Amino acid sequence: MGDDANLQLAELAAAVARARVPGLVDVYLERRADTCWRLERGRIAGRETLLREGAAVRRDGVFHSTDGIERAALASLLDLPARRIPPFAAAAFPPAPALEPLAAALPAGCRSVRWRWSWAVVVTTAGAVAIRRPPLAELTREDGVRSLSVWPPPATGAAPQAALEAARLRPGRHRLLFAPAASAVLVHELFGHPLESDAMCGGGSPWAGRIGERLVDLPLDVTDDPTRADLPGAFSSDDEGAPAQPRPLLRAGVLVGALADAAGAAALGVPPGSARRAHVHVPPRPRISNLIASVAEPTPDPPRSEAAVEIAGLANGTVEPASGTVMLEVRTAFALRRGERRRELRPFTLVGGLAAVRRGLLAAACPPEASAEPGWCGKEGEIVPTGAAAPWLLVEGLEAR
Amino acid sequence: MSRSRLALDAAVQSAGEVLARRGARYEVFARLGQTTVVTREADGEWRRGTTREVGVGCRVAAGGRAGFAAAAGSGARAGRDAAQAAIEAMVSDADPLPPRGVLGTAPAPPPAAVIDLEAQESFARELAARLDRARADLRLARVRTLAGASTTTLVTGEGFRARADASGAVVELLVAPERGPWRHFHFAAREFAALDLDALARRAVDATLLTMAGPGAPHALADVLLAPAVAAPLVVALAQELVRPRDDAAAPLRAARVSRAWRLTDQRAGPGGLLPLPCDGEGLPSAGLELVGAGRIGPPHTSWADAQRTGATAGGAVRPSYRHPPATGPANLVVTGALGASQARLLERLGDGFYLAVPAGPVRVEPGRLAFALRTAAVAIRRGRPVAAHPLVELRGSIRRLLAGLEAAGDDGEAFSLACAVTTPSLLFRRLGIASLA
Repeated sequence: MGDDANLQLAELAAAVARARVPGLVDVYLERRADTCWRLERGRIAGRETLLREGAAVRRDGVFHSTDGIERAALASLLDLPARRIPPFAAAAFPPAPALEPLAAALPAGCRSVRWRWSWAVVVTTAGAVAIRRPPLAELTREDGVRSLSVWPPPATGAAPQAALEAARLRPGRHRLLFAPAASAVLVHELFGHPLESDAMCGGGSPWAGRIGERLVDLPLDVTDDPTRADLPGAFSSDDEGAPAQPRPLLRAGVLVGALADAAGAAALGVPPGSARRAHVHVPPRPRISNLIASVAEPTPDPPRSEAAVEIAGLANGTVEPASGTVMLEVRTAFALRRGERRRELRPFTLVGGLAAVRRGLLAAACPPEASAEPGWCGKEGEIVPTGAAAPWLLVEGLEAR
Repeated sequence: MSRSRLALDAAVQSAGEVLARRGARYEVFARLGQTTVVTREADGEWRRGTTREVGVGCRVAAGGRAGFAAAAGSGARAGRDAAQAAIEAMVSDADPLPPRGVLGTAPAPPPAAVIDLEAQESFARELAARLDRARADLRLARVRTLAGASTTTLVTGEGFRARADASGAVVELLVAPERGPWRHFHFAAREFAALDLDALARRAVDATLLTMAGPGAPHALADVLLAPAVAAPLVVALAQELVRPRDDAAAPLRAARVSRAWRLTDQRAGPGGLLPLPCDGEGLPSAGLELVGAGRIGPPHTSWADAQRTGATAGGAVRPSYRHPPATGPANLVVTGALGASQARLLERLGDGFYLAVPAGPVRVEPGRLAFALRTAAVAIRRGRPVAAHPLVELRGSIRRLLAGLEAAGDDGEAFSLACAVTTPSLLFRRLGIASLA
């Protein structure tokens, strides 16, 4: 965006302030460009482009949105005559990057590559805040599994697993070793979603009212960090215009914070800055950005000899707040014997009580490693990109079903 | 919507002009959808919202190259942007566009007029009031009502033009009992007037109370009676596997044993189902596509481009948004039940087994093995009577087993708006897996 465009957005904010729209909270403008290349045997077999733009207005108890960001559309959302809206320029849609130079280095078994760019502005009576987010790369494997990273896509990745030849895991309790990608999902479900302020305030979190308490014996640090521009959940400001800041959530196992939008921050007495919108047609909600888990003194190597099963990848996980049940869908796992992978296991479900899982976080190994999972994070159908970095975790207290 | 429709027509026209100048074969699809939402969240505050989704998608083919692009917005600029981006997206590919001669429309029931914010809010408040006073040990954590209406226009460079209108109403409830898991409920109809407030409230309360607390279920192969809300996502998952092209992973299903109790049809033009439309996503006239019936699996759904390769009959494309090109998929599924087969009779017929009352998550299908899993609340049944509640179990099996194991379908059909529209009654299956998650 050039100086002229920024000036126009400032004038737009001034015009919105002058209009004294009753109950106005904010105006949100967004553009997204999305190009998807379909691959067949490493060759580009199809290409699709989507150019989206839209505007949304929040007023007390009311949310209106529309595709298109013409002045007339925005005026209609604000219940103003179009002449009250000054001309303004959105960032131009950039051309999609060339995939051809990258195609040879893409992982084997890659079915499609998607590039995603976005531009957004939050306008309030106080001014206009532009939001910068990194362009994203999404790879989809032949088996449908997707991975997300900042653009350009990584040159290597896991090949599809031969699930048909895998063995079935004996139901029951096993000591488990979570690889960083699986640890990232575990931490996301245990300490990410339950610490979002709408869950904390609405009765949907087992951690509500427990700030200052020790949640796990393992001296685990967990921070939500939208300033990590190398990870997909990064942003310069949240979708309410609050500047991005790292948010400590756990310090040495003790609950110290929450992920809050403006309303949640007021209710919980924590800083705002975690409001995100899945797209222009939904209001912002408190969401995870990039969840970083670490311990101060991890062991240097993954303790494979101490575990019976290595969990390499999780399809998803949930924490049921009322019953305190943790459920994890394991997509990729290996039976271990004497510290070596013996065979791949068929997908299975891990179930455990929250208290048992908290006690069962036994050890962490290696520094946190960035992972492509959980990637796209869904919450009641609203999907945002997230990033993660986590260590290996040795875990007890979960039962294979 | 008349001014909006004019803007949509302007977008279609400008896209067509850009593409015609290139001498290419093309198709322009424009859609305007409006949704009104009335919600009460856990904080007790009522909120209203409207969303207007509008845009243009263009498919273009020329000289052995083809491309697709879409742009949001209405008016001439959106049309030009989409057309220009589609030209830039062209890569070496076969022409996917059907010829003018196969395009057309079938008669379909007209949509209801559902966008009436005052009536919608009144419905939501009345439903909330009934649930608020239903029981002291239940709390309504959220009620959300959605009313949606859309108009679409499909135009080709060879002079075909079709318009389709659709509408629907959805109610979502989140009920928090004093003990046990919170329960999500979903109801859909062509209009709010078709939804019975008392019945909705009663069903939400009964299902929540029935499965509030209880022991873990034993791991077992068991006979199960699925309430329509549990059957619906499984029917969609089954249909999504059945409509795949023959050369895809679902090919083994073609030889599967199929119960004669199944009658599953994609009633694209109606008269049944939630979302009848006059043409498919490529402009071919809508027709009823039988997926399972008379103990056999019907042919897969096929797009025009796939039909040219396989010799199958086209007409199976869907297009839920302007943002994506047409793709094969189910549109308006209807499971036909047996007259007089009430849920009570099906419970008697179940004998010993489980009644699955309400889903507790989405269906997961494991690619390759075609195994599925669905979390749900269950009630153990002995001699047709409830004996124990199991708040959370997982129903497991294979898509093949779903095809073979259907014993009977009820006469209590309900509609749902999931990945596609689906209308299904209660379904009684023999020998599916139950695993405890409690």
